[in-house]
Amino acid sequence: MKIKNNLIKPFLTEGRIKARKNEYTGYLDLLIENDKIAEHAMPGQFVMVRGWNSNDPILSRPFDIVQVDPANGLFRLVIKITGEGTGLLNVLRSGSRLVITGPLGNPVEVPHGEKIVLLVRGVGAAAVVYLAESAKNAGTEVYTFLSASAKNRLVCRDYLKNASKDLNIITDDGSDGYHGDARDILERFINKSKPDRIYTCGSGRFARFADEQDRKGLIKGFVFLESHMACGMGDCHGCAVKKRDSGGYYLVCKDGPVFPVNSVELD
Amino acid sequence: MDLNVNIAGVILKNPVMPASGTYECNSIHDNIFSPDEPGAIVSKTIFINSREGNAPPRICETPCGMLNSIGIPTAGVNNFIRDRLPVLAGFGVPVVISIAGNSLEDFCKLAGIIESTGKADLLELNLSCPNLHHGIEWARDKNELYRVIKRVKEVTNLPVIAKLSPSVTDISEMSLIAESAGADAVALINTYKGMKIDINKRKPFLGNIAGGLSGPAIHPLAVYAVYSSFTKISIPIIGTGGIASWVDAVEMILAGAAAVGIGMYNFVNPLIMREVISGIEAYLKDNNFDSITEITGIAHL
Ligand SMILES: Cc1cc2nc3c(=O)[nH]c(=O)nc-3n(C[C@H](O)[C@H](O)[C@H](O)COP(=O)(O)OP(=O)(O)OC[C@H]3O[C@@H](n4cnc5c(N)ncnc54)[C@H](O)[C@@H]3O)c2cc1C
Ligand SMILES: Cc1cc2nc3c(=O)[nH]c(=O)nc-3n(C[C@H](O)[C@H](O)[C@H](O)COP(=O)(O)O)c2cc1C
Ligand code: FES
Repeated sequence: MKIKNNLIKPFLTEGRIKARKNEYTGYLDLLIENDKIAEHAMPGQFVMVRGWNSNDPILSRPFDIVQVDPANGLFRLVIKITGEGTGLLNVLRSGSRLVITGPLGNPVEVPHGEKIVLLVRGVGAAAVVYLAESAKNAGTEVYTFLSASAKNRLVCRDYLKNASKDLNIITDDGSDGYHGDARDILERFINKSKPDRIYTCGSGRFARFADEQDRKGLIKGFVFLESHMACGMGDCHGCAVKKRDSGGYYLVCKDGPVFPVNSVELD
Repeated sequence: MDLNVNIAGVILKNPVMPASGTYECNSIHDNIFSPDEPGAIVSKTIFINSREGNAPPRICETPCGMLNSIGIPTAGVNNFIRDRLPVLAGFGVPVVISIAGNSLEDFCKLAGIIESTGKADLLELNLSCPNLHHGIEWARDKNELYRVIKRVKEVTNLPVIAKLSPSVTDISEMSLIAESAGADAVALINTYKGMKIDINKRKPFLGNIAGGLSGPAIHPLAVYAVYSSFTKISIPIIGTGGIASWVDAVEMILAGAAAVGIGMYNFVNPLIMREVISGIEAYLKDNNFDSITEITGIAHL
């Protein structure tokens, strides 16, 4: 399967943190002022960010563009605090400056007048908000299944709720929504509502589920992938993911980050 | 201000170039940096045949640096000549083509093919990739190092840069061997072989187990490699390793580099080459030098 390289040329630019909030402990929601990203970023794209001057940590960190507000020159990131780089971003105050490269990666095609399902887990939810909003505006019905270990990890819940015709919550501990394995309800939903596409992010299990549905031939499955990145622009060849069927690798930054689920090896 | 440098008869308008494998000269950079700004452009290493590269994960951040085990994915020389070389040759700056092979014959064959295109100005022999089955070994074994450079020089008229590995006992001896085999310049240094272990999985982090260390972490080591080679050889040195600012580049030049290569910092700051060029120029001006060549190697007492 051939994947189209449809790259918008990225900018190296600065952004000011307009507002920050920790909706849940361990998750950071940043509203950033930057005209260029706000105007040009498309669903599926990401930015490389640094919020520190030193060479330690040395690499910029990739994050999905969650929302854009071109009229006000703003865009949003939602970040799970997992290590050094995200920890440094978490201590920045409003007004702080970030160095941003982007928009990066290929935009995902926005479905018009279709029915789509989003299957996302944890901070993987951040990747699909922009797609969900754009699809809704294009007359597509968006059905979202948001999963997390517990209620206080349901990232982007409100953003997804606004963009979805129906938002289903799944938690491992049952603190909200469906408890535990969601396979049954997913299957039932899909058999009944017959969506055109499924998009997944943040869960190998969801990706395999999308793959199974895709194999049946009626629904197209897509997966948002992550990989360790140094450049985000196709220079370093670091972000490789194995192609399915044919030999060799795709680069997540240059060929993705969204792939037809049947084109890549799933873990 | 005269920033021109002469590398084996090829004049570079400034002493800055990307290090092989770290800057693709693709149009994706158009809003940020243009490939006609550095003194030369350098291709990622190519092989005769296509290669997939190594299994992921291929990169891993380390203190002030990174390990990579990319393993040189390439479309092979024919595709390179058809698709990439015309692009590289179109920027009006000298083009360095980096080549590697699994055998001495491969190096010679590639050198011939590249020369016959008429589009390359310099040939760089990557004798030092830590991520290949037989990569670093070329630059580790004195006899092999001598033989491969000598043979390539016999089959091509292109000036040859030997890119050497720091993972040896004394790189200045290797620089001397490269010169005596006929190399027109040396590129010092490729990455240091190293590894990282994931303590939770209790396994090597990189898919290929070990990788090559680059970045500011290796800069003092690279400066010493250049400094110690400078007094032993008279061919130009392209000083590479951990350059993250114009200050680092000036240090390298004072140690003896005629030109500098910038590697992983292109990922960190895609404007680094421009900043280094203007920083060197300002340094020369502020210190009342008229040309870059006046400061090459002057840190030696
Ligand atoms: C295209 C893309 C989009 C992403 N979008 C988001 C997002 O919207 N929100 C969010 O919270 N996270 C997102 N991530 C993951 C995020 O980049 C990592 O969580 C982050 O880099 C961790 O940095 P750290 O310094 O806190 O962690 P550390 O573990 O200290 O990082 C060490 C190194 O590993 C890399 N790394 C660690 N985890 C990941 C990971 N999961 N994926 C890629 N590289 C990793 C880091 O970039 C760094 O180079 C995305 C990743 C990619 C590739
Ligand atoms: C991701 C990556 C890919 C590289 N690929 C090549 C290559 O194809 N050929 C080569 O000769 N050196 C390659 N190198 C080594 C660099 O050219 C350079 O010698 C080394 O990284 C040290 O410089 P730095 O510290 O500025 O990065 C690569 C380095 C990195 C980080
Ligand atoms: S991150 Fe460098 S090639 Fe994808």
